[in-house]
Formats: sequence, structure tokens, C-alpha cells
Amino acid sequence: MDHRPQAWGRPRDDVYGAYDASYLQNSGPKTVTQSPVVTGTSVIAIKFNEGVVIAADNLASYGSLARFTDVKRLRVFLDSSVVGFGGDVSDMQFLDRHLNELAIDEAYDAAEPTPETPTSPGTLNAANLHKYLQKLMYRRRNDFDPLWNQILVAGLDAASKPFLASVDLRGTAFTSPSLATGFGSALAQPIMRKYAATEEDAARLTREQAVDVVKECMKVLFYRDARSLDKYSIAVVTKAGVELKENEQLERQSWAFAERIKGYGTQTV
Amino acid sequence: MTSIGTGYDLANSIFSPDGRNFQVEYAVKAVENGGTSIGIRCKDGVVLAVEKVVASKLLKHGANKRIATVDRHLGVVYSGMVPDGRHFVDRARDEARAWRDTFKTPIPTADLASRLGGYMQAYTLYQSVRPFGITAIVGGFDSELDTPVDGEVGSGPKCGAGGKGEGKKHGGPFLYMIEPSGLYWGYYGAATGKGRQAAKAELEKLDLSGSGALSLEEAVKEAARIIYVAHDDNKDKEFELEMSWISGADGPTKGKHQEVPKALREEAERLAKKAIEKDLEGDDDEEEKKEGDKMEE
Amino acid sequence: MEFGTSGSLNEDGIHVDMDRLKKGEVNLGTSIMAITFKDGVILGADSRTTTGAYIANRVTDKLTRVHDTIWCCRSGSAADTQAVADIVQYQLGLFAMTNGKPPTTQTAASIFQEICYANKDRLSAGLIIAGWDERHGGQVYSIPLGGSLHKQSYAIGGSGSTYIYGFCDANWREGMEEGDAVNFVKEALKEAIKWDGSSGGVIRMVVLTAKGADRHLYLPDTDYAVRHN
Repeated sequence: MDHRPQAWGRPRDDVYGAYDASYLQNSGPKTVTQSPVVTGTSVIAIKFNEGVVIAADNLASYGSLARFTDVKRLRVFLDSSVVGFGGDVSDMQFLDRHLNELAIDEAYDAAEPTPETPTSPGTLNAANLHKYLQKLMYRRRNDFDPLWNQILVAGLDAASKPFLASVDLRGTAFTSPSLATGFGSALAQPIMRKYAATEEDAARLTREQAVDVVKECMKVLFYRDARSLDKYSIAVVTKAGVELKENEQLERQSWAFAERIKGYGTQTV
Repeated sequence: MTSIGTGYDLANSIFSPDGRNFQVEYAVKAVENGGTSIGIRCKDGVVLAVEKVVASKLLKHGANKRIATVDRHLGVVYSGMVPDGRHFVDRARDEARAWRDTFKTPIPTADLASRLGGYMQAYTLYQSVRPFGITAIVGGFDSELDTPVDGEVGSGPKCGAGGKGEGKKHGGPFLYMIEPSGLYWGYYGAATGKGRQAAKAELEKLDLSGSGALSLEEAVKEAARIIYVAHDDNKDKEFELEMSWISGADGPTKGKHQEVPKALREEAERLAKKAIEKDLEGDDDEEEKKEGDKMEE
Repeated sequence: MEFGTSGSLNEDGIHVDMDRLKKGEVNLGTSIMAITFKDGVILGADSRTTTGAYIANRVTDKLTRVHDTIWCCRSGSAADTQAVADIVQYQLGLFAMTNGKPPTTQTAASIFQEICYANKDRLSAGLIIAGWDERHGGQVYSIPLGGSLHKQSYAIGGSGSTYIYGFCDANWREGMEEGDAVNFVKEALKEAIKWDGSSGGVIRMVVLTAKGADRHLYLPDTDYAVRHN
């Protein structure tokens, strides 16, 4: 401790080194930007004839530490859309709460419940929701305070056609018959494109086919993504609503061939 | 109105020598001119209903809702000056939202009533404002289940949390009525507006707290009937019946405040009309006078 | 250790709490945990506070009361976590008075999270919130560095926790009796203290149930065998 009156109580420079004031003064633009800490990995989704299948595993990593293994990254909006989050979990929670409030605002002017839509039908469909999220994400990046997420929005558009689109921390948006974030864009997307390269292909896929493709992709991701988990959530969005399963386990994995692998070249025993 | 000309009624925040705030009492008069609103708290939910007086034939049928959703599980109906009511609802929504932002949970009905009571009361204190010309009925269903924090991820032990208080019930349906003075009480049945006397008399006949308490669907039908009975005082004007309900998570609205579905409302109205006709026939020989404003404070 | 302004994770994700500290800042390079059990929750912690390799305090109390039966375990910067805990303690006191009922663990966790999330670029605080309330029983919430909120059946934190992930996963059982639960916490913290240079000293525990808060203390010179209060 420094005992000189002008600096009493502060760490001594000769012991601890001079205080690094760069922490306090930052030249350049003001940034409140963080980097992600607790993170989720890929989200993948594919359209089929009547809707969209979307999936993400239940892991929240802390660096390379698989710290939280029960984090549900698929969130339902107004019983009619699903939002899948990759990236920072605290920002995901912020967005989830924000969307929750948006859904309550919708209920202020909810239409009368009918036999077809027994729960209060919202007026925001997945396409509206995606546009909203894109504007929100882009605004936050312009404030140099981005929400560190890659997001997929799955649901139906105004014409009740399957809708699937993505938005990232910069506010960049895409739409495609199949989409994937993070590692999924390298590992899952090529597989999904085999089945749904175009909208026409996707429109020919059945629900069962789409679910199978997604499950296969989750398996590949578990094989090759070191930040993934074999427990995952999967949701199917159709006109009938959202079917969300949050505690799925990867099945029929292929590991037995390891028996034939001996050494790394010439070794045979 | 003995107060007129004494000067003590000219401004809010001035007491008369006998301890009355005339501005508040005038506000109550404004409420007494409004269409009847009622609320019923029964064992498995809350029903809100209002006699929406049709001011003009040019208004669209079923539009211009009078019952407002404040949060998923909360509804408000009011009698009196509609613009005052709209502002009051805005405030209620702000309060519910502020609670959510701080505590990440839905606001309990009691806490909302308390805050709105405080808000109403503040408008009896200052020269610069007038009291609200409404009496509001707040209905809500506080979840009986263990609800997660908004945005929660992860879960506790599968066997459930240990050391819970045994046999205690939490949450349930709640009903409050807030008057222009800021006074509010919790009720089993609440009525305000022009037909409140008749409505209260009918509400008192219902078993709302006892063991054979009304079910939610019965309460919807009673609510419709009571509005029709109360309309007797306002007979020359046409009206629309607007009703909403809130059940628990296992009930028909899944814990949400929603408009009563058309089919059920129309059935309730049909029964209400039938009951009224029967009453009219019976009235000739019975001549039962409906007084008994016992709930008034 | 060099300090940067990035706040980014080490690849191993381990001593990340230290990276976020400014030079000379007092660090709770810590082993903390909280678990649910049959009647409520138990919080546990070591007692070492370090400034670099120097032990600034060897009998620290890292278990902090924010309401009668809602407590937290603090890791990261001592200054930051004390400031946050003080704010939450004030807020919960206010809540109890204005609403006429005690706050729930959820309420406490929400307020903690709001502070940690809104100030994520200024704070280095890794917190575990554990509490008992009549409605929800015992609950454990974890708030790691970025300010996310995780409900857990048990939570471990601080630099020492990385050495006991295996131990805890292998030995954890739901709905333990109090004696077994205390033993689980003690054995886990003993391992953490053994392998983590930044953890050490005594083991403190707080048991929260319907009966209120009960403190435990175990000392290293008796191999943590005897309960001292």
C-alpha cells in the first residue's frame, strides 16, 4: 500500500506497476461492446411442405467448459413462431424477455378467441417478428452495443406459407429453404441443401423427412463441433401451432468403427 | 347538493368544514352515470362484464372494447368517463410492465391494485388535477404453479425443490374495485355504474366464497344475467354485453385474460334474456323490491 | 498476469475471473458452491482472498446475506461483488417493507442479474444465489460473468470449481438428507482447496431451511472434521 499522503491507500507503483489508465480512457469511439461469455453453439432449421423444423442443442459453454447442460435455446413466440438463439446466453435472455413483453403488448388488442384459434391469436407472424429482430439487432450494432447472437426465426408468413430467416449481431438478415448458424453453416447446411436446395424442393419435403434431416445434422454437429452436446431441443412449426420437445437425446450414433482404427499409419495391432 | 355555493366544492384538495372532498364526490356522480360494470371472483377464475351503452347507431357493433388486458393474467373494466378509464388502463399497463422489468415475474393482482389505488388517490390531492371519473374493477389470476423467472434457462432438481411450506396454497383468482377517492377493497363480487344497486343485490345472492362456490362457466352466465337485470335502470338505451374471463393454468383460458368466446357469450345472453322474461312475469304477484346496498362503505 | 481490456475468455475457460481484474485488485480466487437438498439449500465457500500470490485475507467470509433466508456466494472482484450484494440487500429490504411479504429467491436472483447484465463491461462478478422461501422451497441460481441467469439443482463457481466438476457430477444426488448434503459440500470444497492455489483456509457453510439460517465452520488443522459453530 502507498503511504504517501497524496496517494494514501492506493497500490504502490513499485510493487504493482503503474495503474493502467487505458482501462478508464479509451481513445476512439465510445464502445460498450462486450464479447460473449456464456455461449450457445449452432441452430439449424429447414422448411418442409407445411412448416419448418428447427433444432438447437441444450448446452451453454463457458469457453471450452461445458458449464450448463440444460439451457433451452428455442423460444416460442405467441404460440406460432419459434426463435432459435446461438451466441451469448445473457443477451438471449434479454431478447427473450423483450419478446415476452412484445407478446403482452399484442394481447392488449387480441382478437376474440375462435374455435380455430382458441388461444388468443397474435397479429405478429414469423415474418413480422424477423423484421422486428433485424431492426433491433442493427440498431444495437449502430450503438456499438450489439446483442451477441445469431438468430433463426421459424414460423409462417402472412400468406401462411412456411417462413425461415436468420439475423445476426450486425443485423444482417438472410432467408433460405434451410439455414444454420455457427458451425452448422459449415457442417449442417451442405447436408440440408441436399434435400432442400430450392423452395420447390422444400415444398416437396414431408414433415417426417425434414425431422430426419435435422436429426441427422444434429448428429454430425455433435461429432464435429467441440462445443456441442448430445441433448437437444427440436420444434416443428405448422399452421396447427408449435410442437416443441426440449429433452431429446441423439440416437443411433456411429462409433463402433473405432475398433478397426489401429495406430495412425502402418500399425496393425 | 347542499355544497353548491359554499365554495368548498370548487377545487380539489380542499376539505369542506365537515371533512368532505366534494370534487371526489362529484367524480362518484360521474361513475354513477356510466354503464354498469361487474366482476365476479369464483373458485376457479374471474369474470368481468360491462353493459356497453350504445351511444350511436353509427358505431360499429362489437368495436370500441371497454374491457382492457393489462398483462397476460390481468384485466380491467371501469364505469364512468371512458377517456379517464383509458388513461387509467395505460397506467395499469405501465405498472405491470415496470414490475416485470424489475422482478422478471408477473405482477400479483394485489400489488397492481395497491399501486393503482395509490395512483387514483394522488389525483385527490392537488389543485392542478381533478379526480378520476371512474370506478375500476381489476381482475386477475395469480399463477398457482411454480412459475419460472421470465427468460429463465436451466432447471432445478427433477424431484422438485426441497423444504416447501406444506399444504399452503399460493396464487388464485383475485378481484379488486378502486373508487375515485383511491379507496380499494378486495371483493368476491363487485359492481359499479348506473345499475350497481340491482347488480350488487344479485351478486349477494350468489355463493361465491362458500363450499358450493360457483364454477367459472356458471359465473359467466350469472354475469350476463346480472348485466341484463341491471340494465333495467337504463331501459331506454340499447346496450352491448362485453365479457372477459381469466381461469387458472388448467382452465379454459390457461391463466390468460381473454374475451369470453362468442359461442359461450351468446349462450349466456340467451339464458339471461330468458331469466329476465321469467322475472317480469313473476314480478306482478311478488313485487320484490331490490334494495340492500349492503356492500357500500 | 498481463491485463487486457478485451475481457475475453481463456481458451480453457478457467482462470477467466483473474483476467478481468485490474492490477493490484483484490481477488476472490475462490471455491464457492450452493446445493439444494431435502429441506432447503446449503451454501459453501473457502476463505482465501488473494492479491496475486499473496493471501490478503485467510479467513474471508464469502457467504453474504441479502435477506433472512436468501444468501449469495461471491467470486471475482471482492469490491465489485460486495457493492452488488449491498445494493441487492437494500432492494430486498425495501421490497419486504413495501410489499409486506418477504422476497423470494427468484426476486433476489432477478435483481442480481439485472445489475450484472446491465454493467457486464464494468463488473467482474461470478455469483451464486441460493435461498429458501415458503412458496418455492430451496432454490439455487447461478450468475456467471456475462450476466446470464441459470437455475440449477446445484452450482459451483470460482477458480477452484474447475477441479471439482468431476467430483460433483459423480457424487451429486437429488433430495439428500441434511447430513449427507453438508458432507457433499465439505468433500467437494476439500478437493477444490487441495488442487487450487487460489482457494484455501477454512470452509464456511450456511444451511437455509424453514428454520432459518444456520452457519457451519470447519477448520483445516483438524482436516475439516469438526464443526466449530
